[in-house]
Amino acid sequence: MWRITLKGLLAHKLRLTLTALAIVLGVTFISGTFVLTDTLHNTFSNLIGNIYAKVDLQARGVAQFNHTSIGDTATRNPIPQSLMTTIRNVPGVEAVAGDVTGYAQFVSPEGKAISGGGGSIGLSYDPNQSLSALHLVSGTAPTGPDDVVMDAGTAKKYDFAVGQPVKILLAGPTRTFTITGIVKFGTADNVAGTSIAAFALPTAQQVFQEPGRLDAINILTRSGADTATVQRAIQATVPTGVQVVTGKTVADEQTDSINQALGIFSTALLVFAFISLFVGAFTIFNTFSIIVGQRTRELALLRIVGASRRQVFRSVLGEAALVGLVSSIIGLGVGVLAAFGLEGLLRAFGITLPASSLVFHARTAVVGLAVGVGVTVVAAISPARRAVRISPIDAISQHQTGLEISNRRRLTIGGVLGLIGVILLAVGMAVSQLPLVGIGAVAVFLGVAMLAPTFARPVASFIGRPLARWFGMPGRIGRENSMRSPRRTAQTASALMIGLALVSAISVFGASLTKSVTSAVDQAVSADLIISDFGDNAPGISNSIEPLVSQISGVEDTNVVYDGNVEIGDSLKDVTAISPEHLSETVLVRMDSGNAASISHGDLLIDANTADSKNLAVGDTLDVKFAKTGVVGMRVGGVYKPNALLGSYVVSDKFFLAHFDQALPVAVLATTDGDRQQAVTDALVAYPNVEVQTRDEFQKTQKDAVAKLLGLIYALLALAVIIALIGIINTLMLSVFERTREIGLLRAVGMTRRQIRGMVRAESVILALFGAVVGIIIGTGLGLALVSSIDAQELSEISVPIPQLIIFLVLAALLGLFAATFPARRAARLDVLDAIATD
Amino acid sequence: MTKQEPAASPAAHAIDLHKTYGSGPAAVHALAGITVTFERGHFTAVMGPSGSGKSTLMHCMAGLDRATSGKTYVGEQDINALDDTGLTQLRRDRVGFVFQSFNLVPTLTAGENITLPVDLAGKSVDREWFDYLVEHLGIRDRLSHRPTELSGGQQQRVACARALINKPDLIFADEPTGNLDSNASTEMLGFLQRSTRELGQSIVMVTHDPHGAAYADRVVFLADGTIVGELKQPTADKVLERMRTLGT
Repeated sequence: MWRITLKGLLAHKLRLTLTALAIVLGVTFISGTFVLTDTLHNTFSNLIGNIYAKVDLQARGVAQFNHTSIGDTATRNPIPQSLMTTIRNVPGVEAVAGDVTGYAQFVSPEGKAISGGGGSIGLSYDPNQSLSALHLVSGTAPTGPDDVVMDAGTAKKYDFAVGQPVKILLAGPTRTFTITGIVKFGTADNVAGTSIAAFALPTAQQVFQEPGRLDAINILTRSGADTATVQRAIQATVPTGVQVVTGKTVADEQTDSINQALGIFSTALLVFAFISLFVGAFTIFNTFSIIVGQRTRELALLRIVGASRRQVFRSVLGEAALVGLVSSIIGLGVGVLAAFGLEGLLRAFGITLPASSLVFHARTAVVGLAVGVGVTVVAAISPARRAVRISPIDAISQHQTGLEISNRRRLTIGGVLGLIGVILLAVGMAVSQLPLVGIGAVAVFLGVAMLAPTFARPVASFIGRPLARWFGMPGRIGRENSMRSPRRTAQTASALMIGLALVSAISVFGASLTKSVTSAVDQAVSADLIISDFGDNAPGISNSIEPLVSQISGVEDTNVVYDGNVEIGDSLKDVTAISPEHLSETVLVRMDSGNAASISHGDLLIDANTADSKNLAVGDTLDVKFAKTGVVGMRVGGVYKPNALLGSYVVSDKFFLAHFDQALPVAVLATTDGDRQQAVTDALVAYPNVEVQTRDEFQKTQKDAVAKLLGLIYALLALAVIIALIGIINTLMLSVFERTREIGLLRAVGMTRRQIRGMVRAESVILALFGAVVGIIIGTGLGLALVSSIDAQELSEISVPIPQLIIFLVLAALLGLFAATFPARRAARLDVLDAIATD
Repeated sequence: MTKQEPAASPAAHAIDLHKTYGSGPAAVHALAGITVTFERGHFTAVMGPSGSGKSTLMHCMAGLDRATSGKTYVGEQDINALDDTGLTQLRRDRVGFVFQSFNLVPTLTAGENITLPVDLAGKSVDREWFDYLVEHLGIRDRLSHRPTELSGGQQQRVACARALINKPDLIFADEPTGNLDSNASTEMLGFLQRSTRELGQSIVMVTHDPHGAAYADRVVFLADGTIVGELKQPTADKVLERMRTLGT
């Protein structure tokens, strides 16, 4: 029987190639994602391992919060520099080095802020090479207050050399330093595209911290000393609040935080891989259904000469498994190539990864093959079951007997599935469980796909009416063709339906988000100018900016916005700080109760949503834990209406600065008399990392950010739409093949090739539009449900982008027209005599 | 090979076979109570006009279709008692088929088509028997060809070889010459006749060609779902004459 399977497969190469393509694309996505994230993971692990390779032990402040935000390391307090001497004197310690890090960003000779693609970092340079991860490749170590060493990557790219001056953006005013040396990081020019500015320790302390304070102390143990013993000895000498850990622990923590971020990245990509495969499964299901239909006589003949039902079932599934296997293997290969491509793309963005080859874990192959083969086989089960139901008599009888599942059964299953899907969706959204939402969406799609054949005929007829009018006879026959097998029409359109449903849902989501962002700015900010960073990984902007801006003539009032993390009731929260002076001029705070000015005596403001959910009112006390100062019982001084700029918790700037280390403003707000944008921009020429925007521009920036995100999602969803399109091409090809005789007859009675092509195209457009209409309806519903279920200030408005949805519809029709190209050509090329003679 | 001794049981027989399509006043009685016996080692032709039920009779007796009532036996086996697996095994091991058209799996070569029932059963091919068949049918040089590369006559000979490969108790041939030219028909019928006379093969052939029927040992005439006559040692003229008297 295997021989029959194999031979059958070879005989249907063409029709299976298109099916295989769907699997190839899906598996490519999966394996590419795995290879890329594994490679990135490996790269970062190596990098971080290298940074702490020489560090045996590290003394540092204990973590202040129980939780960290994703991709971040724990918040710790600085430790006194005097500990260096204490630790140095512990037996077994060979050397110690003080470590201070902070924000330092180079300015290019053209006056632009340099962002290496991986951000910018400033550190203290440790001249002791036995502990430092950096090593000089030219020049000397920084010693004086104006000395800096630069990473070789930045030096090469911007043509800096030893002895040259360079401007550096800092938390305080921008300063000019002299490059005394160029450093490399191991063999790499820099750390994953991050620019490095390293200063002598006192300089670093002055620009990043306070004198006498360190972020950590790196410790080298004497050779032969037992690290654990030394660790205990040091721990015994340091005050509480300081912990001593191994270099490996520090490296592992940092690797973990990067893995968390990478995990989100890879999960997001895998979701899209899954979507592609899900759409692909419909295509496979459809292809196998059609193939089984076309092979009815052959399968019946096999049954006559003695093939058992099981053999027929296995034969169809075996065919599917083989198709799945071959396409998965191809997909794996292409995935690796795609990862290569992505790595190249990263390099083009300036993220140079240190020499490490692509990582291909066995897991990548196992998951890729299992998913690829699994999806194909599962999709082929229903067609295989139908193949089993073929009775031997079908080989000889003219009429085809009961191959369709009874309408009622399909309706019931479809209806139940759809209902379960809707319930899961609703529950998933209510409790914010995305996996549940996903399963619900899958169930809804399956349910609708099963119900679709029941309304395919009338809908196809309706959509086809204008086509029949415009294209004449070919249009009418095309319409009839699309109506005569409602099941096939529905199945083919289902794939496109899913693709368009997702696109439409995202478009509703995006439109709502855009509208929310716009109104958020309108309802939150009253200042004329908003000064903030460009968003290139900087932790904030210089705190010298506000004093500078406030002195520009024409600037009336200014305000500074800070934000930071605090812990409230065991969860990490964002707190915003703002000055109570000029508050009403710069920010729109609409109070429900209490008084906004109360923050000036250390009170806390909360928004109405938080007040509701935590059951708080003016006068209540809330425990807020700050990393620097510990738990503070804060009085709620007022409750304001939700405000996108302020978030949920607001304190005064003075309070904030007293409770946070290294606090950098995130924005400066200014009101002006008339248009002072140019004047302010000119005044801030020394700060090329900031952007001075009017309210409208700020709004536009926010909208652009949303548009960028949407663009990315659309691009990823495009794959699913392409697979759906392949499905349409496939069905049309199979239909043309099946109707060879009929087409021959039409040609024989005088239909021109052009008319044949028109007929196939009309059918294709109807298929595409059917999928699109259903998809857009479902998608809009999904999108609306999604938006209304997300209870966030960022998503306060609901909007259905009707023009955009109409564009999708038109695009779908065009795609349908495009999908018909090849099948139409093939149909038109059929030789009349051959076509009629075909058995 | 010599003619086998007639065994105790016939190759196949049916008792009071009914097959009804539809129900109520619209019911069509394709078989209206047929009792018939096909002797072992005999070549029997079933004749009758279109719609007389001859194909239905064959389908029911071969286990391809279920009769509405009545009993059918292949050898001693009551085929109504068999489930799908049993019927599959029956078809594979004890019954051979030759049809008018679409006899071969298009993706397999002639040789593979011949051994298909054996392969499906997971048994090994009796090479001697295979060689004997392809030699006698004159298809040795066509074995590696696909069905589309064979003439109609060659295809039918391949189908014959396949029907015989398992040495079945009985071969059902449904209009085997219906699509063949006269030369190919003569060859095919001659071969069927020889396999009965020389190998003792039992054959039931449905046909409406009097010349074809003349190759059989016995002709059974059907009309409107019942047996209306029988003729032993037929000739084409006798068959024609009988059909005329039956008004067909």
